[in-house]
Amino acid sequence: MADVKIGNLHKSYGTVEVLKDINLQVEDGAFVVLVGPSGCGKSTLLRSIAGLEPITSGAISIGGRNVSDLAPAQREIAMVFQSYALYPHMNVENNMAFGLKFAGVPKAEIADRVNEAARILQLEPLLKRRPRELSGGQRQRVAIGRAIVRHPKVFLFDEPLSNLDAALRINTRVEIARLHKLLKATIVYVTHDQVEAMTLADKIVVMNKGRVEQVGKPLELYYRPANLFVARFIGSPAMNTLAATLDGKGKAAAVAGVSLPLPAAVSGTGEITIGFRPEHCSIGKTGIPARVELVERLGETGYVHARTADGAALLVEVKGDPGLAQGAEVRVAPAAGHLHLFDGEGVRLAGT
Amino acid sequence: METASQGRVQQHGIVGMSPGAYARVLIFFLAPAVLVYTLFSVYPLLDTIISSFYSKQNDGSYVYNGVANFVTLLTDPTWSAPFWNAFINNIKFFLIHMLVQNPIGLLLAALLSLPVLRFRTAYRTLIFMPTMLSVVIIGFTWQLILSPLWGIAKMFLQAFGLGFLFGPWLGEESTALITISLISVWQFVGIPMILIYTALLAIPDELIDAATVDGLNQFQAFFHVKLPLIWPTIGLVSVLTFVNNFNAFDLIYAMKGALAGPNFSADIMGTLFYRVFFGNQLQLGDVSMGATIATMMFLIILCGVMIYLFLIQRRLQRYAF
Ligand SMILES: Nc1ncnc2c1ncn2[C@@H]1O[C@H](COP(=O)(O)OP(=O)(O)OP(=O)(O)O)[C@@H](O)[C@H]1O
Ligand SMILES: [Mg+2]
Repeated sequence: MADVKIGNLHKSYGTVEVLKDINLQVEDGAFVVLVGPSGCGKSTLLRSIAGLEPITSGAISIGGRNVSDLAPAQREIAMVFQSYALYPHMNVENNMAFGLKFAGVPKAEIADRVNEAARILQLEPLLKRRPRELSGGQRQRVAIGRAIVRHPKVFLFDEPLSNLDAALRINTRVEIARLHKLLKATIVYVTHDQVEAMTLADKIVVMNKGRVEQVGKPLELYYRPANLFVARFIGSPAMNTLAATLDGKGKAAAVAGVSLPLPAAVSGTGEITIGFRPEHCSIGKTGIPARVELVERLGETGYVHARTADGAALLVEVKGDPGLAQGAEVRVAPAAGHLHLFDGEGVRLAGT
Repeated sequence: METASQGRVQQHGIVGMSPGAYARVLIFFLAPAVLVYTLFSVYPLLDTIISSFYSKQNDGSYVYNGVANFVTLLTDPTWSAPFWNAFINNIKFFLIHMLVQNPIGLLLAALLSLPVLRFRTAYRTLIFMPTMLSVVIIGFTWQLILSPLWGIAKMFLQAFGLGFLFGPWLGEESTALITISLISVWQFVGIPMILIYTALLAIPDELIDAATVDGLNQFQAFFHVKLPLIWPTIGLVSVLTFVNNFNAFDLIYAMKGALAGPNFSADIMGTLFYRVFFGNQLQLGDVSMGATIATMMFLIILCGVMIYLFLIQRRLQRYAF
């Protein structure tokens, strides 16, 4: 296994810059997940690491070796594609063995590796079948098997679960986590499913419009988002964000006509954005005034959708049934220690 | 009874429509196709086959005489010699298309589908263009190009000091058929190219990416991944080539006339049929023998297509992506 280092990577298609100055370190054996909205360049970054896309500038090294100019097959990586990309005209066994034959691996060793992968992935009864005779989940396992037999230094996954149904997705997710432990593999994994990202990752890379917005452990991103984009992107349902004005001393913020005390004094004045998660606020006697628009009752929890006088939407998670009706006037108070402050540019305020 | 009949109407018709109205709708939509197809395809074919079982008497009437026409065609030397000559030539004509036109079509399709290619549409259009031109124009143009007197081919070869290679290719028995076949290949190579190109486009890019990660270069990916996936299309192209070649007539007629000379060296089934059926110079038209040859052509094509359908196509696996 090996680490991956990406330095000042740029990638353009003609005049369109798709990846802008990407710097990233993936430690040996780490499970790194790339997340971001559609079109932000996750696949392009992954394909650049694989060598399937030529990069415009920058460097990629795998295991300390600069691979920027090497062909995909020489980078000692393996990739699992979203559509699985199994060879339709070969059975499962040949699908896995195909690349090894081309690499000149001896027959006996090919057989060993294929059998080992088949055992790990419980593919033994399926070895003689063609891809079209397999279910989606089985195809997925074959695609992973084809990656495993290469004994790569780095595994690259591009949204491998997006073609599976919900139940299978959870199973396969657990399976991938188990494989990661078993193979002690370095993995770079693209998804836009937050739950996948939070549960699988050692480290999450949040991307937006070709830039890396934040890199961090899953809970770090949840508790201390570095900017508004990450704050809104991570967490489901999304964080409440409201325009606010800092008072002169930096001790309180005026929001929707009320003054919210801040936990610690912050430097700076003027227009800021405050944010708090639906699960980190409550309905009570103090706080931001709002009118209830809709109450969703899920049993154990409930969601209260409300709107402030100046039109900002608020979502509050409550235990059980809040007993509120549409049109009720309420006050929403963020929990202490769970208030996020962002400056005019959307960057987290220093000291918070 | 009435409810039962209503129940039947609802099973086969449209709910709420009376049986009469439903029948009118059926006729309205089916009749044009059935009429046209019967009039221009089924009837001529049946009439041809029936005619081949009759022969013309001296008084001008036609009398049924079983398979005698076929026996004559295959055993009487005055008939069988030209028939077998045309048949063998037709097979050569077909083989040249199979061995030259289709591989070149495949190659061009592979080149067209290269991701780095520029001016793709221009190449595609240019290569496909001759297919849309009239055979008469093609035949005439190539006759001018290859003419030993003023043809540009001769001057072109001479300009490179290769004049000794030139020959009157259209005029010699040994080369006339090959030359005409190659002109036909030149004209129609766009069709296998387009069909195979379309099949290649349907192969997902990720599959080739996977092959690239597996260490295959473009060339190997083509042979080991793309080619196996387009065999069904190549099979289809082959059977189309077969049918077209055994029905061919126009190019040879345009370049060599009905006699398909020199000395019938370019004679194929189509030109033979034309001479026999309509008559040519001293030969009188013979509807019965013409129909016999046409029926033989039909049987040959039928055999070829059956072999394809029952022996070859079954082994070619189609893949959905
Ligand atoms: N061949 C190409 N030519 C031009 N632009 C491209 C090309 N391929 C991708 N792009 C652009 O690059 C950007 C990033 O694409 P990419 O496929 O990496 O997005 P993504 O983050 O994987 O999105 P998704 O979640 O939808 O898969 C997109 O804006 C896309 O339009
Ligand atoms: Mg993508």
